[in-house]
Amino acid sequence: MLQIIKKRALQLIIVLFFLSLLTFVLMKLAPGDPVLLMLEADTFAVTQEDEDALRKELGFDKPVIVQYGMWLLQLLKFDLGYSYLKGKPVLEEIMYRLPATLQLTAGGLFVMVLIAVPLGTLSARYRGKLPDHFSRIFALTGASVPLFWMGLLLIYLFAYKLQWLPMMGKGTITQMILPSLTLGLGMAAEYSRLLRAGLLESLSEQYIRAARARGIAEWRVLSLHAMRAALLPVITVCGMSIGSLLAGSVVTETLFSWPGLGTMAVSAIFERDYPIIQGFVLLTGLLVVGVNLLVDLSYGLLDPRIRKPKGELS
Amino acid sequence: MNSLLHTNKRLIALLVLLMLSTAAIAACSSSENANKAEQGGESDAEKKVTVIRNFKAASLDPHNSFETLRAGIVETLVRLDENMEVQEWLATKWEAVDDVTWVFTIREGVTFHDGTKLDAAAVKASFERGIAASEVLAGSLKIASMEANGSELKIITTEPHPALPSELVNPYASVISVTAEKEMGTEAFNNAPVGTGPFEVVKFTPNIEAELTRYDGYWNGKAKLNKVIYKFNEDSNVRALALQSKDADIVYSVPSETVATIEQDKELHVESIAGLRVHYLLYNQQKPLMQDVRVRKAIDWLLDRQSVAKDVMLGNGTPATGPFNSSLPFGSKEAVQAKNGDEAQKLLEEAGFKLNSSGKMEKDGKALTLELATYGARPELPLIAQLLQSDAAKAGVTINISTIENADTYIRENKDWDIVTYSNLSAPRGDGGYFLNSAFMPGGSLNGTNYENEAITSIMKKLNATSDIAERIKLTQEAVKEVMDDVPHSYAVYPNLIVGMNNRVTDWKPGPEEYYIITNLMDVK
Repeated sequence: MLQIIKKRALQLIIVLFFLSLLTFVLMKLAPGDPVLLMLEADTFAVTQEDEDALRKELGFDKPVIVQYGMWLLQLLKFDLGYSYLKGKPVLEEIMYRLPATLQLTAGGLFVMVLIAVPLGTLSARYRGKLPDHFSRIFALTGASVPLFWMGLLLIYLFAYKLQWLPMMGKGTITQMILPSLTLGLGMAAEYSRLLRAGLLESLSEQYIRAARARGIAEWRVLSLHAMRAALLPVITVCGMSIGSLLAGSVVTETLFSWPGLGTMAVSAIFERDYPIIQGFVLLTGLLVVGVNLLVDLSYGLLDPRIRKPKGELS
Repeated sequence: MNSLLHTNKRLIALLVLLMLSTAAIAACSSSENANKAEQGGESDAEKKVTVIRNFKAASLDPHNSFETLRAGIVETLVRLDENMEVQEWLATKWEAVDDVTWVFTIREGVTFHDGTKLDAAAVKASFERGIAASEVLAGSLKIASMEANGSELKIITTEPHPALPSELVNPYASVISVTAEKEMGTEAFNNAPVGTGPFEVVKFTPNIEAELTRYDGYWNGKAKLNKVIYKFNEDSNVRALALQSKDADIVYSVPSETVATIEQDKELHVESIAGLRVHYLLYNQQKPLMQDVRVRKAIDWLLDRQSVAKDVMLGNGTPATGPFNSSLPFGSKEAVQAKNGDEAQKLLEEAGFKLNSSGKMEKDGKALTLELATYGARPELPLIAQLLQSDAAKAGVTINISTIENADTYIRENKDWDIVTYSNLSAPRGDGGYFLNSAFMPGGSLNGTNYENEAITSIMKKLNATSDIAERIKLTQEAVKEVMDDVPHSYAVYPNLIVGMNNRVTDWKPGPEEYYIITNLMDVK
């Protein structure tokens, strides 16, 4: 296990290096820079000289590769730099937003598990019967309703019509419910189907028949024996979902005034706030690689056959 | 079997852990401002208003965010009145002693939220802090040095700066207590700045909301409200729903398509007022074709301003008659130019174009085709482009529309366009100098096509050296006349500011400048 982690850490550094280089070059190839926004040219009189002076101060007149080198050198000192437009260090901005994103990710996953596991299990158990039809309709609806629309519908119903839950903001648990539902419902639709397919496949395996023959209770066969095998593909996909959730969910964050990483990244891209974009890419790269490592390790937990290195006898 | 059960326990443990951690993370975050803030009603003792703004504020640093002044926490030396004229506020009078020297008299009897007295020295310290914190402010004030003497503040500028009083309207020039900042530390101060306004900060959650309470020692009469919740949400539909559910009392920038629904509710209404922005067409005079004023004028005739205001803006806009809204002291008061395809064709014929057999305008066998670039950041602009495209087609002019991401960069770098739909605040501080200098003077930040016009330049030189208000208005109008004759732009519409409000809010109206939102006078029924 330690070996795997060591190897992954090395891979991580290489991945992050190329990721940041690629982002930096692409960013610089795209037209525009943050100078006009920094000088607030849409409200204040700015001259060409002011612009050129600022560009020079920021080092935009140097070749791209030199600019990247400067950023990298700074990074080696664990300094992510200073945001051009937010007026604070990149690390501070990211660290302010990361907990909000983690909360939203956890909330979304919680809702997903809460709905997808029972729904997927029931529809596999009662294949072709009422629960299965219900789950199919739920999945179809959930997968086809766009996120922003789902969010607005939830706000309309629970915050406007029924007035049970707050409409926006972050701080209390009640304020977490609607954003979590918005994220979780769509995912639950996908995962309930995935789980159903996995369960159906493993239910047709010989060992299930053997388990049933031994007189093991049906719920046990389903939730212990079949579930383990069915979870493998689910966990794989889940790893990818978590990765994208950790990168932030722009729509949900905007709807609920949720200060997550997604809106930060998108506005940084529009504003060409390069240090923020670079910091964001590094962080999400790190998180995605980390989550994938966890997913790989969890395979071993679920399936003992994976745990043993090749050639070793059990 | 045993190992199976064992793994299963781990699985369950994993799930439980996931659920617990979710709950834990949620519980960890502060829950001080529980549900109280969400409830619309209040007792007699508490008069509260909830406002939702359409932009976020990550910090309340008054020298880097406009929202602090908007929320009634800080104030400036001078302010704009409803006629967009500069009036006294924390300064009671000001005069230009010579070309580079201004003397401001600071109001007596004003105290900051921490109880310290406002005097010229405090203003000087605040300006020094602002200039260090904001390059933008430094660039617009052009201060060389300051001298504070009791209530008199002498400002010496680096160059003649007749527009200084109007530049001081800038929210970045807000006066704060620098002594309070020293005591609290900059970070804490930026979350709860100490100013002279009618409200002080109780709690600020970046990008989400600020909770404000009345400052009892306010110099201009204690505020009638005792609490304000000042929220931020960038989704217009959610803002409209918050108003309809009575969660919010004042909501900025309501989508025009929800106006009718809001008006149906007897407890709500919508204020739609002409703002200080102008949507317009910008012509690329780097292209030989667009250098011909007759071609530019022809397109100008093809722009249906009434339809833009009525159909594109759904009535929430005023047809434009020039760069400046007619409600401004120097705004153009002429009638709106109606669309006229015949005039357009006449001008194009003068410029050597002829209608060909297929009904297209052509010159030397080449049909008149214009490239128009537009962008989606302001959703009305692409619609204005489409309207122009269809009206131009009727007159035999083909317009190809392309969508770009960043207009500022595109205008400067890409020379392939003839027309761009553009939008600017033309008089953000109640003075025309900013827009005229930026858009028509060589090197100006809005002059991406390097437009130059001798007549305008010479008027601007005079304007930039004039401090007398009446004279400035006259010169601004003269410059605008030259602009209208030469048609470097075609002004389409002044978009309205649409503010939804609950009828329980009294003694309050949104202003076109969008600066003075929370006031001491606003009240609730």
